[in-house]
Amino acid sequence: MPDDQEDPKGLIRRFLAMPADSIPKTVFVAVALCLVASMFVSAAAVSLRPIQEVNQLRDKQVNILQVAGLYEPGVDVVEAFAAFEPQVLELATGRFAPGFDPATFDDIAAADDPEISIALDDDPASIGRQSRYVTIYLLRDEDGAIDKVILPIHGYGLWSTLYGFIAVEENGNDIFGLQFYQHAETPGLGGEVDNPRWKALWAGKRLRDDDGALQITVAKTAPPAGAEYHVDALAGATLTTVGIDNLVRFWMSETGYEPFLTRLRVGAI
Amino acid sequence: MAQTRKEMLTDPLVDNNPITLQVLGICSALAVTTSLEVALVMSLAVIFVTGFASMFISIIRNHIPSSIRIIVQMVIIASLVIVVDQFLKAFAFEISKTLSVFVGLIITNCIVMGRAEAFAMKNPPVASFIDGVGNGLGYGLILMLVAVIRELFGSGSLFGVTILQTVNNGGWYVPNGLLLLPPSAFFIIGLIIWAFRSWKPAQVEEREYKIQVVDAH
Amino acid sequence: MGLRAFFDRIEPHFLKGGKYETYFPIYEMVESFLFTPKTVTTAAPHARSYIDMKRIMTYVVIATIPCILFAWYNTGYQANSAIAAGLEPSYWQSSIGGLFGYDPDNLIANLWHGACFFFPIYIVTLVAGGICEVIFATIRRHEVNEGFLVTSMLYTLIMPATAPLWQVALGIIFGVVIGKEVFGGTGKNFLNPALTGRAFLYFAYPAQMSGDAVWTPVDGFSGATALAVSAADGFQELAANGLTWLDAFLGFMQGSLGETSTLAALIGLTLLLITRIANWRLVVGCLGGMIAFSTLLNLIGSETNPMFAMPWYWHLVVGGYAFGLAFMVTEPVSASHTNMGRYIYGALIGVMVVMIRVINPAFPEGMMLAILFGNVFAPLIDYFVVQANIRRRAKRHA
Repeated sequence: MPDDQEDPKGLIRRFLAMPADSIPKTVFVAVALCLVASMFVSAAAVSLRPIQEVNQLRDKQVNILQVAGLYEPGVDVVEAFAAFEPQVLELATGRFAPGFDPATFDDIAAADDPEISIALDDDPASIGRQSRYVTIYLLRDEDGAIDKVILPIHGYGLWSTLYGFIAVEENGNDIFGLQFYQHAETPGLGGEVDNPRWKALWAGKRLRDDDGALQITVAKTAPPAGAEYHVDALAGATLTTVGIDNLVRFWMSETGYEPFLTRLRVGAI
Repeated sequence: MAQTRKEMLTDPLVDNNPITLQVLGICSALAVTTSLEVALVMSLAVIFVTGFASMFISIIRNHIPSSIRIIVQMVIIASLVIVVDQFLKAFAFEISKTLSVFVGLIITNCIVMGRAEAFAMKNPPVASFIDGVGNGLGYGLILMLVAVIRELFGSGSLFGVTILQTVNNGGWYVPNGLLLLPPSAFFIIGLIIWAFRSWKPAQVEEREYKIQVVDAH
Repeated sequence: MGLRAFFDRIEPHFLKGGKYETYFPIYEMVESFLFTPKTVTTAAPHARSYIDMKRIMTYVVIATIPCILFAWYNTGYQANSAIAAGLEPSYWQSSIGGLFGYDPDNLIANLWHGACFFFPIYIVTLVAGGICEVIFATIRRHEVNEGFLVTSMLYTLIMPATAPLWQVALGIIFGVVIGKEVFGGTGKNFLNPALTGRAFLYFAYPAQMSGDAVWTPVDGFSGATALAVSAADGFQELAANGLTWLDAFLGFMQGSLGETSTLAALIGLTLLLITRIANWRLVVGCLGGMIAFSTLLNLIGSETNPMFAMPWYWHLVVGGYAFGLAFMVTEPVSASHTNMGRYIYGALIGVMVVMIRVINPAFPEGMMLAILFGNVFAPLIDYFVVQANIRRRAKRHA
């Protein structure tokens, strides 16, 4: 008589033959099911991860292309994005930080890292902590001169933190475009930040007047400085509008990108 | 089971619809019905999960110890849901961003659990699969109905294609903002249930109360 | 009496087996509006009295008359003032409304101009809502309820003068169907149908309805409502905008058609209290809750939110508080039905309205939402009051 203890098939068969409610059977079913299920799940997760990472990267790249006005459906994202030069920027100095690799630098994690971030006391954008280093994207023309800079911005609206990009022209003062890629504002009101008509209002607006004072405003009525500094409010979304006004002004201020934009204006980049 | 396979597939569409008759799976119906495309993907995901979860559970139904019955069902359902979620993230990234946690929440969708417990534990695999797919279809049907109403009148489009040009884009249609908010799905599902029960009075439940009337003196 | 004889003659046609049996509800509607009804009421909102629902509802409509008159006057006054300040009359209603000129000091011109905005909204409400009522009454074979007369009047008075008429129609249809008919009709509705319709519009078309900007019916006029000003800069700024407390109490400010005047609402409330249609406990609860909670917030104070400092007597006169208190909180069907419950129900609304106005950043006005919130809780409050009573009596007799 063969020893079926040695034969795994026989072992399984013996377990299967047991009454379903016996303790060994219960343990066997639980273990076997967990093994099978975990193998199944991890196989799917591991094999699909490279595709997912490409998707996430591409999603971010598409947003940058959109805010720079270079995105059309069907465009080869990787090829189009090659025109951009990512750089990690030290906000306070406005200089690039060669110590960080832009390919691996994580802006969102950096804001929580006490080594490289600061807690804000004066915090109009309601972001709590601000990373001292930020990944920005430079777009150069054929001669290698800077054409546009794409700067990430975020801040609190009515219900949620809005994440987006602002594209500034090479003169460091004219806005080319603004786009939020993540938010949870009220659909139809604050959610209209995604409306192409509202986004188009940003093109050609100016950040600072000739005296260097920050004038850009998002509000229902134009500020005294004039219409070239004014983006119309979102209809019916007072608090989202206030939030966007605050966050744009915060990121364009001295605590934000102003040191970098100053250097850009004098051609030091 | 006296039902034929065809009946198993079609019965949950109207006569025994998991949403309108059994009122299961409402939460995701509120969250993912603002646009048709998202609702369609969600429906397909649920059909896939209910079908295969019922089938796998049915295959091993004679070996599931009753003491850990629910956990075993959950493990199978959860594994399938995670796989679906991973596939969506890989191959339908835009839609998976909109669906976000709601794919994961298929695990808690009562329809999947309900069919596993009520049908798959007592029936052979093929029948269970068909039953699961049928119930998924019933869920999907309501989801699509709700999404058609919400996307058409809330955003003026269907599958993202503009049907009613909205005022914000220079057209004439003033979109109904309520339809973009989750509570509107409650109203719409309620009205669909009303319509179904007027059409099929057999679905109307017995009253739990009686209005007392005092005779006039 | 000729009319009675006429009704007696045609009545058999509408009774069971008659030619026009299906249309009995319509016959009954007209007949009982003109004559004392033959039947005695048997169910909610009240039991066994010859003062039936029809009479109650008629009293409520009479109680709204001060608000209606003031709605005409104030709407016209606001529009004429804007025109006098140099804006062009732009709404089609103004072309008829200018019959007596656009002089804001002329009483007749103001009344007429305002009425030209009031009646289109009222007529659309009556027609759109009335069609729904009659359809349901005919299908369900019950009587057309005069409750609708009240609903349509209250609904009209809480509409902005600038509301597009198609939105008015959509709102009242939603209010009648979802707020009332799906639950079985008058007496079984736990929500106030007029407010349900208004809330529907509020969330569906917030650009026209949410009320952070005023609704003066002249294009190009812009400004913030009293509540929006208070939320942004504090109630002290209202005086700087030319709005004194007395103005606000009398109702000389922008707002929905009929809810600006606290005085007119209080006159209506007095009539309802005298006729015992409104239960005074609801009023006490609602006032008490509002006064207590706003005073508490005054004491807590806030550096960033100027609304915390708004005293209770300002809460009383701005927005829709007084109108809601007089006509919505006291509505017998959707309120609590136990005496203890009425205090709790009123207080809940009073607290909620201040909470929404002061603490919620998204909505400047909270009366509508607070009352609907109270409506939803009313049955629960009654349940606990009844259970507590049962327990107390059981203990006493144990």
